[in-house]
Amino acid sequence: MTQFLDYVLGGIGSGAIIALMALALVLTWRATRVVNFAQVGQAMFTTFIALSIQTLTGSWFIALIGAIVAGAILGVIVQYLVLRPVKRMDTSGAIIATFGVLIALQAAAGMIWGGDSQAYPQPFSNTAISLFGREWPLSVYDLVVIGFAGVLVVGLTLLFTRTSLGLSMRATAFNPEVARLSGVRVGRTLTIGWALAGVVGAVAGVLVAPTSAISPNSFDILLVFAFTAAVIGGLDSLIGAVALGIGTGLILSVVSGYSDSSNAPVVALVLLALNLAIKPEGIFGHNSARSV
Amino acid sequence: MLSITDLSVHYGPVQALSHVSLDVPRGEVTAVIGANGAGKSTLMRTLAGLVRPESGSASLDGKVLTGHRAEDVVRMGVALVPEGRSTVPELTVDENLRLGGLWRSKADRAATHAEVFDMFPVLGDRRKLRADTLSGGERQQLAIGRALMCDPQCLLLDEPSLGLAPLIVTQILELVKRLASEVNIAVLLVEQNAVTALRVAHTAVVLNLGQVVMSGTASDIASHEELRHAYLGC
Repeated sequence: MTQFLDYVLGGIGSGAIIALMALALVLTWRATRVVNFAQVGQAMFTTFIALSIQTLTGSWFIALIGAIVAGAILGVIVQYLVLRPVKRMDTSGAIIATFGVLIALQAAAGMIWGGDSQAYPQPFSNTAISLFGREWPLSVYDLVVIGFAGVLVVGLTLLFTRTSLGLSMRATAFNPEVARLSGVRVGRTLTIGWALAGVVGAVAGVLVAPTSAISPNSFDILLVFAFTAAVIGGLDSLIGAVALGIGTGLILSVVSGYSDSSNAPVVALVLLALNLAIKPEGIFGHNSARSV
Repeated sequence: MLSITDLSVHYGPVQALSHVSLDVPRGEVTAVIGANGAGKSTLMRTLAGLVRPESGSASLDGKVLTGHRAEDVVRMGVALVPEGRSTVPELTVDENLRLGGLWRSKADRAATHAEVFDMFPVLGDRRKLRADTLSGGERQQLAIGRALMCDPQCLLLDEPSLGLAPLIVTQILELVKRLASEVNIAVLLVEQNAVTALRVAHTAVVLNLGQVVMSGTASDIASHEELRHAYLGC
């Protein structure tokens, strides 16, 4: 039982990272009704930028800020250069285009930074915390990750529910024509949504990199987990993405603990298939039809 | 005053509007009536900036509207309530109203918000509820309220009676008429239901296949036997 609880607790840190990436997917979905499969590619690219900044300045924090700025800019570039022209055709075209962007970003990163895995410096202690006479399966770094996820979720929720920009973004997602007729600059609002998603993805990338390593393909598996969490959470729901992101992290940690970590992706896909069979609108979603 | 001069619109090879000219004076309700497919909604969507005209122009008090995008046209003082009680169903009543005119100052918006609640008390009672829980008549009031939040000098109403009980239609249209005269805005009302429209309108034009086939005072048009048989089917 203790072992089980340790496996569960050990999944919170990775769950928080999955939650952030799922959050980024939900943000682009809410803004433009497109699942952005390039999201992890953007996060990988901005994490490489962060690594370069880290190497130059030696500061983890400045590197994080650099990744955030790069994430916003890259989000705008992808939305503006790829999504806008393609979206005029149809939605499935846009989704396929995001795969194209993912592959292009991976190739570009390979050319710039090389295809090998590189270590990302660990800014905080990553050893198990000892407290009350035992070792806990959590490190200071896990707590930092959870803290970042919490702040971002609360901040985004406030943005969506309390500000004019948030109201514009929600109205644009639900009914762009009424939003335009009300005076909302819809194109700009969509772009801001993609920039915001880019920022959240960039933070997730910088946070996950020290726990594994970074290479052009190292975040691909994160896409599988985050996509699973976002879809099961209902795709429209920030809370759903976070809850299911953390939940996915916990389940995968338990699965990896009792069997082998290579089984984790299979379990994620089984969960996704079960969700689509039983409750396709997602746990936190509304029951309107959608196609992904 | 809203002035429409020689406006033509094409959808591919289909001519939706052909050389439409029309004046909509302030303080009055001007009705556009005609059968399905006469080009009524196209006229409204073109005025609101959702559709680009092929030629011709529209202007409000001398400011040219055509060529501007919808989000700018509404800033210039022309607000459209599109067909089908268009609100954002997922947002609350309050949020739907707040959405209108976000570019205006907070104080101005708060004042209009209070005026809308005075005008449509039922919206005040339901302010925290999602728009999709409202009845059809309440949603139409909300749609008009959202447009009024944009502080329009000209209000475009596209088929407000669609799917509503006759009594509610009469109430809403009487309110629109009062609004036009009290706030001195120009109201352009599109209706398939000619009898209802002609009851509140001062002047009216009849559209058929994208062309103005008749214009005059509402009472003239209402009493024109031949026209009623030919275009209005009543």
